[in-house]
Amino acid sequence: MWGIFLESVVIFKNYMGFHENHFLAVIYLLALLYLWLTEKDKCRRAIFVYAPTLLLLLFFCPLFRKVFVRVLEDSETYYRLLWLLQMSIVSAYGLLKFVGRHRRIGLAAACLVIAACGDYVYDSEHISKAENAYHLPQEAIDIVDMIEPETGRITVLVPADLIYYVRQYSTDIELPYGREMLISRWDYHNAMYEAMEEVEVIDTPSFVELTRHGNFPCTYVVLKEDREISEPLTDYGFSVYGQVGEFVVYRDTTL
Amino acid sequence: MLMMYVTEVMNFIFWLVVVPFCIGMIPANFISPVRRSPGFILLSGYFGMWALFEISAVPAVLWVKYDNFKAASAAFTVLSLAAAAAGLLLLYRNGRAGGAGLIWGTKGNDVKSLSPAEWIEWLLFFALLGFQLYKAVAYASFDGDDAYYVVESLIAQESDVMYRILPYTGRPTDLDVRHALAVFPMWVAFMSVRANVHATIVSHVVMPLVLIPLTYLLYFEIGRLLFAERENQPVFMIIMAVFQIFGNVSIYTNETFFLTRTWQGKAVAGSLVIPALLWVFLLLYGEEKQKSDIAVIKNRANGGIWMLFAFVHMTAGVCSSIAVFLSCILTALTAFFLAFTKRDIKILLKMGAACVPSVIYMGIYVVVAYSYLL
Repeated sequence: MWGIFLESVVIFKNYMGFHENHFLAVIYLLALLYLWLTEKDKCRRAIFVYAPTLLLLLFFCPLFRKVFVRVLEDSETYYRLLWLLQMSIVSAYGLLKFVGRHRRIGLAAACLVIAACGDYVYDSEHISKAENAYHLPQEAIDIVDMIEPETGRITVLVPADLIYYVRQYSTDIELPYGREMLISRWDYHNAMYEAMEEVEVIDTPSFVELTRHGNFPCTYVVLKEDREISEPLTDYGFSVYGQVGEFVVYRDTTL
Repeated sequence: MLMMYVTEVMNFIFWLVVVPFCIGMIPANFISPVRRSPGFILLSGYFGMWALFEISAVPAVLWVKYDNFKAASAAFTVLSLAAAAAGLLLLYRNGRAGGAGLIWGTKGNDVKSLSPAEWIEWLLFFALLGFQLYKAVAYASFDGDDAYYVVESLIAQESDVMYRILPYTGRPTDLDVRHALAVFPMWVAFMSVRANVHATIVSHVVMPLVLIPLTYLLYFEIGRLLFAERENQPVFMIIMAVFQIFGNVSIYTNETFFLTRTWQGKAVAGSLVIPALLWVFLLLYGEEKQKSDIAVIKNRANGGIWMLFAFVHMTAGVCSSIAVFLSCILTALTAFFLAFTKRDIKILLKMGAACVPSVIYMGIYVVVAYSYLL
């Protein structure tokens, strides 16, 4: 039970970003404490004080966590219980009650404190200038436009960089494996993925055997131009179909 | 080309503004005129629309094998248009009866009476909102889950199939009940088909333009209930907007989900559905009322709010299976404390009744997930 409790503490710290010196949680907890002390309305106490406090206690309760994980068969989403705290609404309510009539100075101070304790979302490494209306890398779109059949579907082997995007643009492109291979904790295995991504140098004969005679024969293979390969694919019945940026598109002429 | 864009925009306006607004007049008709507002109507209309989508799509997912998206779309089109027509009928009847307006209620529109300071504060809030919308459209936010959710929408749009094809690879697959009951990507697909716009564009561009303002509309409605002094409302909204922008303390917070993966059902659950439960609790029990309003509210049943309560629970199921569980936990805890503080055991029973859609959802989930044991 102690171990489960400590796991919950780690989840809480990760959620609140303490390890990166973010302290929005402190604002929230202070607001909650202030509401504990000052909120007179019984109903609001129930909604904004008692329920969140009990939720926090339940979050750290090992027995509750055991039941939650058992019922949902998923321990990775336990942190979503903290969504019920609705930190922003409770904090904003508490802050506004605290500043009372000094609204403007209170507003300025609140914004400064939130900015100092929080983290600017648009600085995220996952956010970048959109290259097109799809919000997908243009290279992925150009490759699909190049190989997409007019009718029917084809199977295409693409590097890990493109796996997330290809089927967001066209579902006529099928993949021999997908995103599930990129999440190591999901622990999937796929021979073609291992031959493509997990070796330093692609072994051409065995690689071609898999792409041509595996469960899902690939009409096209896309490789990065600097991908090391023991022998050129063109010696094994492939032709260079085109190139988009750093990606070379090969077509299997035997299929 | 221009004509095509105009048609797409008109279709979006029809399905994302007109239809939900008309549906929202049904719950609005069953609440006190004091509480009526365009914000209440649009929000309750959205939750009503999602509830109708759940009724249309979940049976199709479970029991229709081929072209199940077509079947769900047809059912949803009929149900939503019928509900919108019913809303319009109520508006017409209300107007003819000469009662308080269904849209503005008895309070009317008080924009004109804003002080210069309030104008500036509201402008500041709208600048923050505009900034978030600009970032949502001009910037791409990578999220690995899009390889599942966005592709599910695209498969439905391009192949008329729901949850029978593995989005990662394109191969046929068995029903994954945890994802299949959360039909939010199918609702996105429905909008994509109606407007004839690629589902990935709808997810990444159109949905943030709709869902971000809708979420702030909900925060505005919550602020209106929390603060009787109107001057506090823009300040509350500014703090909320700043909190969202700086809420990225980890990848797990609902604020991060809200602005980086707005189009996913779980983001809607965290930022719209759960706050909507707080909104409903406040509407039912916690509103700061002026004395003159209390008599009017007491004279009118809260039927529309209970209707909204059930819609919100159904929307939780549309967004994510876990959201159903979370909604029930929050409702149960709050009901317990409200019943205790108000010394009224009936609160537990009433709030329990509002959870019935979620209980049915969980029942279906368990039966389908464990049917192999039968």
